[in-house]
Amino acid sequence: MNINLEKMKTLKLKAGILALAMGMLFVGCSDNDDPQPDPDDNQESKYVLITMSSNVLEKPGYATAFDELPSGNIANNGSNALQGFGFGGWRPYGNWLFKMFATETPNTLGIERLEVNANGDVTSGQFIAGDNTTNGTGNFVIVDENKGYYWDGASPLKIQIFNPTTMSRTGDIDLADVVNQRGADEAEILYRAIGQKFLAVKGGKLFANITYATTNGTQKGFWDDFYDDVYIAVIDIASGTHDKTIKIEDTGAIAYINDNNMYDFDTNGDLYIVTQGVHPRGEGGKSKIVRIKANETDIDPEWNLNMDDIMDGGKFVSVFAKDGKIITVIPKERIVGGPTGNINFEDIWEFYSIDIASKERTKINGVPAVTNPGAAYGAIEIDDKILLRVTTKDGSKNGYFEYNASTNSATELFKVTSGGSVSGLHKVNIGN
Amino acid sequence: MRYKIYMLSALLFLSKFMLAQTTDVLTGYVHNEDGIPLGDATVQIGNYGTTALSNGYFSLKNIPTGKHLLVVSAVGYAAFQDTIVKLAHENLALQIRLSKDDKVLQEVTVVGKSETQQVREQAIRAVVVDTRAVSTRATTLTDLMNRSTGVRIRQNGGLGSRPEISINGFQGKAIKYFKDGIPLDYMGDGYNIASLPLEALERIEVFKGVLPVSLGADALGGAVNLVTARRRGSHMHAFYEIGSFNTHRAGVTATHETKNQKWSYGTELFFNHSDNDYDAFVGVRNPNTANLEYRDMRLFHNAFQSYYGEAYVNLQNRNWVDELRLSLTAFALEREQQHPALMTDAYGAVLGKQQTVVPSLRYKKKLLDGKLSIDQFAAYNNLQTRRIDTLMGRYDWYGEFTPKTTPGESRLPSLSKIHERQVILRTNIGYQINPTTSLDFNYVFTDANRDGEDPYGQRLAGTDIDVLSLTSTYQKQVFGLSLDKYWMDEKLHNQLMAKFYRYSASGIQNTWFSTSVTDADKRQQSGNYWGVAEALRYRITPSSFVRGSLEYTYRLPEREELFGNNIFIVPNFELNPEKSFNASLGYQQTFDGNFTVEANGFYRRTKGLILLVPIQAPNAQYQNQEHVKGFGFDLDMRYRFATHYTLSGNATWQNLRLFGITHETDQWKNDARLRNTPYFFANAGIQSDYDAVFAHEDNLKVFVNYNFLREFYLETIRKDLEPGGFLGLSGQANINSNLRIPDQHLLNAGFTYKVSSGRINLGAEVRNLLDKDLYDYYRIQRPGRSFHLKVSYGL
Repeated sequence: MNINLEKMKTLKLKAGILALAMGMLFVGCSDNDDPQPDPDDNQESKYVLITMSSNVLEKPGYATAFDELPSGNIANNGSNALQGFGFGGWRPYGNWLFKMFATETPNTLGIERLEVNANGDVTSGQFIAGDNTTNGTGNFVIVDENKGYYWDGASPLKIQIFNPTTMSRTGDIDLADVVNQRGADEAEILYRAIGQKFLAVKGGKLFANITYATTNGTQKGFWDDFYDDVYIAVIDIASGTHDKTIKIEDTGAIAYINDNNMYDFDTNGDLYIVTQGVHPRGEGGKSKIVRIKANETDIDPEWNLNMDDIMDGGKFVSVFAKDGKIITVIPKERIVGGPTGNINFEDIWEFYSIDIASKERTKINGVPAVTNPGAAYGAIEIDDKILLRVTTKDGSKNGYFEYNASTNSATELFKVTSGGSVSGLHKVNIGN
Repeated sequence: MRYKIYMLSALLFLSKFMLAQTTDVLTGYVHNEDGIPLGDATVQIGNYGTTALSNGYFSLKNIPTGKHLLVVSAVGYAAFQDTIVKLAHENLALQIRLSKDDKVLQEVTVVGKSETQQVREQAIRAVVVDTRAVSTRATTLTDLMNRSTGVRIRQNGGLGSRPEISINGFQGKAIKYFKDGIPLDYMGDGYNIASLPLEALERIEVFKGVLPVSLGADALGGAVNLVTARRRGSHMHAFYEIGSFNTHRAGVTATHETKNQKWSYGTELFFNHSDNDYDAFVGVRNPNTANLEYRDMRLFHNAFQSYYGEAYVNLQNRNWVDELRLSLTAFALEREQQHPALMTDAYGAVLGKQQTVVPSLRYKKKLLDGKLSIDQFAAYNNLQTRRIDTLMGRYDWYGEFTPKTTPGESRLPSLSKIHERQVILRTNIGYQINPTTSLDFNYVFTDANRDGEDPYGQRLAGTDIDVLSLTSTYQKQVFGLSLDKYWMDEKLHNQLMAKFYRYSASGIQNTWFSTSVTDADKRQQSGNYWGVAEALRYRITPSSFVRGSLEYTYRLPEREELFGNNIFIVPNFELNPEKSFNASLGYQQTFDGNFTVEANGFYRRTKGLILLVPIQAPNAQYQNQEHVKGFGFDLDMRYRFATHYTLSGNATWQNLRLFGITHETDQWKNDARLRNTPYFFANAGIQSDYDAVFAHEDNLKVFVNYNFLREFYLETIRKDLEPGGFLGLSGQANINSNLRIPDQHLLNAGFTYKVSSGRINLGAEVRNLLDKDLYDYYRIQRPGRSFHLKVSYGL
């Protein structure tokens, strides 16, 4: 579950759910094995910014803790910045900053927690390692400060359990029987997994996608789906048992795992999930945003957004939901994959606000078309501000814009001039 | 250089006749004390060599004017060395008497230049690694080269791991390898400094920047020319080395020349094996917590083994040919792969193999009284490379096996077999216009086509077509022309060179990202480029000179860079050649024969460095990445003292920085150091040399060598955060990063002992005496302390 601090506050107030998880909002970010809630008045805030200094697989980059929300022109690669790998994005939870890649060695898949202290020092913390040869390793979701789930390519038919406080694996759930409920005799299915690309926690249930892949090579599980429908196992967290399997119909592939988990909870607890479409090269086609309502465990058959209705040859790559609105990016032209295509590094992605009820979409003013946010989130919320990640191909824009919902426009908040393209910003409270 | 040689010779008789004639001929006779001609005697004068006829007579034409080292040897006789002075348009006639009598220990002072020294003092600067001088040591070529000025060899492991040489910050494909002037690409990994024994070579010439035209290649930053040992007459040499990590190296070289010198034949056989099972500090995954726990683990799947053999027959000293060499070379090697590019995972079964058989032919002939020389080389081979990763399971660092349902330990399961069929032709024609002027023309043609198969490899999407089965072709031609001119009684030496490069290539573009291949996916690339270079040397005094060079040149994209390797390197047809302007200036002086100092500086400005960039996992692609400019200098000193001791040292500092970055997000990188490139390294060594230590005619050399490598940075860091102090040599960079490769210290020590018979040599060496953690690439650990013992025997 990827809910930042401020959004979880709102969630508590409005939905009154996940009381235990809410305690996380007030937990100091440290390597303390027994985190205690910190009263707000004893906390010091840090705004941690990450950038990626080269657009290469290792994702080298920097993380800097600022005392205030950055503004103007800033550098993110000073002497106090942590330099390392895997800075294409992250997946924060409360006061914790998690990445799916190790900082100290390139291309090392797993879960790492960055640590921030009161002096503003950012360091790489404990790392949970997994199979480096399979994409999706390290895909995780956190239930509370003592429990989380993740997937490790070394045991594709199991979901691993870990303790996010101690950052250690604590067990696993074997779901081979669940996976084999379908397609067991299909010769074309060469690879099976559960939780490789989608893990979410909602209402005491764990949701995990089931991979039925037609390849077992380097990219197994990605753009090689056997079924047009995406199957998601629903597992009861308390008992660890499989409740049922639901499906997202006719969409091919679910999220591409790269820190950005491609789902989000609306203020009312509804879960919005991005699917990537049927194209074998990840170029969309039937890419959707679907919904599981707050008190439901099935895909809402009455509602979805289909990119084919918006932009033929496009797809969704990001979702942010708040107060009945979705903010996402929509390509202004047909996307083309590969290193020479426009999908990643051309300014083709435009920010839109979409009214969930009416599906009416409105282009956000004041923001240029940007490059693909990729592993980074397109929109985040900090200090009750909705911030849009804006990076353009020529680098003339490279920072966050603040979104004004009332005018459906955004203005530049800050620009990173040194350290690479922005890939994440999060506020953490440091216990005194 | 001035040095003394103690030699065994009962009687020396040397006559020097300077006759004013119109042709330049050096003739002479070699005989023993009794006046009996020594028909097998080998006569070497500078770069020129021959063998005496049965009546002891020899002749050599076109010996350049100047001082030359004369070496005459015959089996069973003490070698004779002296310096001769050859004046322009004058002949020399020599009578040389060799002795096997040892009753007189005569000291002879020699003032002259060995061939190795001559190369060192050319207008085009070469760092020369004199391998013959240390061939009895239990050391490696890579260690020797790492002690050389301005040269860094980087290896990711122990014996046999692939070496990458860095010269003036250039590395990778910008540096070309040659064997006796022939480009070595066709030999794959079978003939390189990682596996060759010292005995195979006479010396290694490392050219920094400007290359002589005889090395026909589009190298940008430099070249490494492996000069093989040239042996005349009959001889046999065998060696065996045993070392830590179950290391065994053995070899035999043997040659025989008929008495009439019309035929000679020989062979070279080398074998290498090492388990390379040293300890490495790696992250071991705790099976319960899944946390990485760093500890020293013994590598268990890191062995290397290679066989290399060459057999040759020479037809020589005939009317139609001076030397025609028919050679058959073969090698096979197998390399276990313990881990991926970095030590992040343990593999227990991944293997790489390579083999080939190379027939080759070399023809040499001098015409027009030696004014015209022709040197032609031709070879064809099919280089086969295999990669095997089919294991249905995985290993951990403890060597424990866990089965799994998909094949391959790495991301790339493979049972590939790749064929590279290659033709290489090289023509070198030299013409001596007059005693001080010569022209040199060089032409190299290479043609290669590659295809293969891999049942586990990629298929074109929607088809069963193995992408490896798609053929790619590559042709390259390099033309070179050089004008050599001496002025001012040869004080001034000038070389003006021009090179023309032409290449064409064809292949398939979307082998990794296509639903089907059509004609639209076929690509052809071609290009023509010019390069020019100028090198000048001025001898100020007999013991000092200054030299400089300027060069504007290109390096063409290689086939693999354009078309990928159909495994994980994907094509890039947007690649442009790298282009560079290089300049150098150097000064060398010898003081009183015992102290030599050389200082050199360089400047380079390179655009469009081609680097391998990881893109979508697991693929990588070559891209024109960066512009680099900067300067550097190195200092080399050698001092002989107290008769028996030699102290040597060198240091290299280079200031190579990025420039011309216009992208706004990356402009901060302008003026930052080129990443992953050391900017300071130094060597120091001391050697003692004693005769008659334990027996009358033995010799003992003891040496200690120290190497220092300054910290450098795996990724780009801001200039203002670099270490301070003189040349940035103080402290550490002001960064919060583990991507810093820390200062490294390497200490090796050993000795060689020649037993009194002169035929047996013993060598011993301790490498990494301090047992320090050493890295050449990021966290790819090199072996700790190791012990090596070598015995060699010569006839």
